[in-house]
Amino acid sequence: MSIFKIAKQVTGALLAAGLLSGAAHAEDKKDIVLGGSIPMTGVFAFAGVGIHAGITDATKIINDNGGIEGHKLVYVPEDTAYKVDASVAAFNKITSQHDVNLYYGDSTAFSKTISPEVDRLGKMVLTGASFASELNDTKKFPNIFIPGPTYTDMIGILLNHIAKEKPGAKVGLVHSETEFGRDPVEGAKATAKELGLDMSLIISTAPGGVDVSTEVLKIRRARPDFVIFHGYVLAPIPEFISQARAMGLKTKFMGTFWSMDNSMVGKMGDVADGFMGVMPYNYYYSEQANAPMLDKIRSMRDTYQSNAYMQGFFSTMMLSEAVRNTIKAGKELNGPNIHAGLQQIKDFDTGGIIGVPVSVKGNSVPIGRVYQYDLSKKQMVPASDWIRLD
Amino acid sequence: MRIGTAKENYTADEALFDTNIQRGWMIALMIALFALPFMTGQYAIYLVCLVMINIVSTTGLNILTGFTGLVSLGQAAFMGVGAYTVAIMEINLGTPFLLNLLIAGSGAALVGIVVGLPSLRVKGLYLAIATIAASVILHFIFANWTSMTGGVSGLSMPPASLFGLELVQPDQVYWIIMPITVLMLFGAANLFRTRIGRAFIAIRDRDISAEVLGIRLLRFKLLSFAISSFYAGVAGGLWAYFFRVITPESFPLLMSIFFLAAIIVGGMGSILGGILGATFMTMVPEILKMMVGVLSPIWPDAVAVMSPVRVVVFGALIIFFLIFEPDGLAEIWRNIRRFFHLWPFKT
Repeated sequence: MSIFKIAKQVTGALLAAGLLSGAAHAEDKKDIVLGGSIPMTGVFAFAGVGIHAGITDATKIINDNGGIEGHKLVYVPEDTAYKVDASVAAFNKITSQHDVNLYYGDSTAFSKTISPEVDRLGKMVLTGASFASELNDTKKFPNIFIPGPTYTDMIGILLNHIAKEKPGAKVGLVHSETEFGRDPVEGAKATAKELGLDMSLIISTAPGGVDVSTEVLKIRRARPDFVIFHGYVLAPIPEFISQARAMGLKTKFMGTFWSMDNSMVGKMGDVADGFMGVMPYNYYYSEQANAPMLDKIRSMRDTYQSNAYMQGFFSTMMLSEAVRNTIKAGKELNGPNIHAGLQQIKDFDTGGIIGVPVSVKGNSVPIGRVYQYDLSKKQMVPASDWIRLD
Repeated sequence: MRIGTAKENYTADEALFDTNIQRGWMIALMIALFALPFMTGQYAIYLVCLVMINIVSTTGLNILTGFTGLVSLGQAAFMGVGAYTVAIMEINLGTPFLLNLLIAGSGAALVGIVVGLPSLRVKGLYLAIATIAASVILHFIFANWTSMTGGVSGLSMPPASLFGLELVQPDQVYWIIMPITVLMLFGAANLFRTRIGRAFIAIRDRDISAEVLGIRLLRFKLLSFAISSFYAGVAGGLWAYFFRVITPESFPLLMSIFFLAAIIVGGMGSILGGILGATFMTMVPEILKMMVGVLSPIWPDAVAVMSPVRVVVFGALIIFFLIFEPDGLAEIWRNIRRFFHLWPFKT
């Protein structure tokens, strides 16, 4: 055998060994892919931009701290303009180009549409912008995670607060005539009954409706102590409040997560003063002690970040924790195992994103806090302690 | 170079494809359509299916607006009728998908006839408003007839099945969508070789003259509404099988505007125009997205920054085409064909 042949064989063997060990290493530390159908344009863009920023920052922080057990987290977003067909297209595109482990969807409709496919693939866990109560069913939706309380739970948190503040209070519920708006109605009625509250006033408004004078008259007739709005972002809440104030009503008005962004409430003007609502996360400016994640966010972005940002950030944190649990348990990274990893999350310290340690219950994290807008500070300030629904 | 096509009789003049080259291209297209699922991934097939569903609905609207001159903004609501019909039949009766689609189309056609009644008295913008009103009523029914439609939560339906095989994936549903789209396009193209199609065109060009010629406006206007809605109903049925979740919010007014924009951009009163318009309106946002995606490796925040720009570019492209070719993409296509027919001579 010539010296060249020997050298060639040795080189070949070394290369093969090197490549193989490299491949094994790469296989060991395979990237964790978080795909996203994100509404960066369209009617939900106000939230989509924040969600994207939150996921991006959480991903960066996780990777700067060595990834998830050494695995790099890769975020692959696509804009959907908040359209189901575009969201499904984005899902198909991202899953055909990457081995996706985690996915963020932009709406309830998308989650319901893609859920059978996610179950069939069995590779990933799906989270998203939806807090739909229907999704909080581990049997029907075994691969879904809701990054906070469901809409029914949000109303439940508000009702718990009301029951403490004013037992037997008269509570009205004003909701939009959409899937989002109708979601908590039945659950809210049941919870109100359980807590001894009178929720006989339920008003639904047409999507996009601006003339609310008839509905305000119904409120005047019923004279509720509290009115909870659900299914809106901003309009027609300010119109309701200003007309009710003009009629001299002392009713306290409340909202749920998507109408609780500080800058959005600020846009209501003077009528925002005293507006209350439920928020599962701390606000960007929260002065809570021992909140390293909030400090980190503030060091990365020096201007106010929305509640959508917090939602995106928290979703990424929780999913990463679930993946970490799966890896630590030595299990294969697939949908059921990552979902099991989520279920293992008990008393998890979010570094101040949520003020108390959190646990996953079912598909959701049923915790939140009631806030109230302080016009002088131009900020939502805590009106209750953290409320956990068990 | 081809100077012209000699036609010796009316049959030849009315033929859908008048040259062997055209027939050859058509056969090649059919082969490509059959080969497509074996050559591409799920994402590409998904987009093709979406384009085809939009083509069916756009063609339906083109029959009504482009060929008969009756403006409608109710196409999405008619699709909704078809989608709900398919879902209700599939969930409750488990009937075969072809029957479901046929009934979906027929149900939408009946609704279309009712909605079309005002067209006897009003036209143009007034008719558009009447169809919007009908669309609002249908939306209300979708959202409030809870026992049938599932209310605002909508319906989740099982997939279509063929010989016991469930058609779940885009490359499986494609085998329903593709043949039906081709069939419906041939149907639409052939419609305008018949007395009915010519009556539609006569009504579009001048309805009073058409009536003087003996065309009964009531019958043909309603027939145009029925056929257009049938197409929308079938498209809605295909949409239902494709997504398998139907809510009242699945068929918003914006979707009707999308179809109207598609026939304007593609070319009104041309089957090819409907195809090109629907393809343009569905694919250009995706292509622009891909272009933004190319920037992502070198500019990580490209998706966030460029997404709004992409929407502006899409709008600008529509305006650009309308300014430079008001007759739509179909006319651009015809100009290209003419250029190559006469090449190397100038057109």
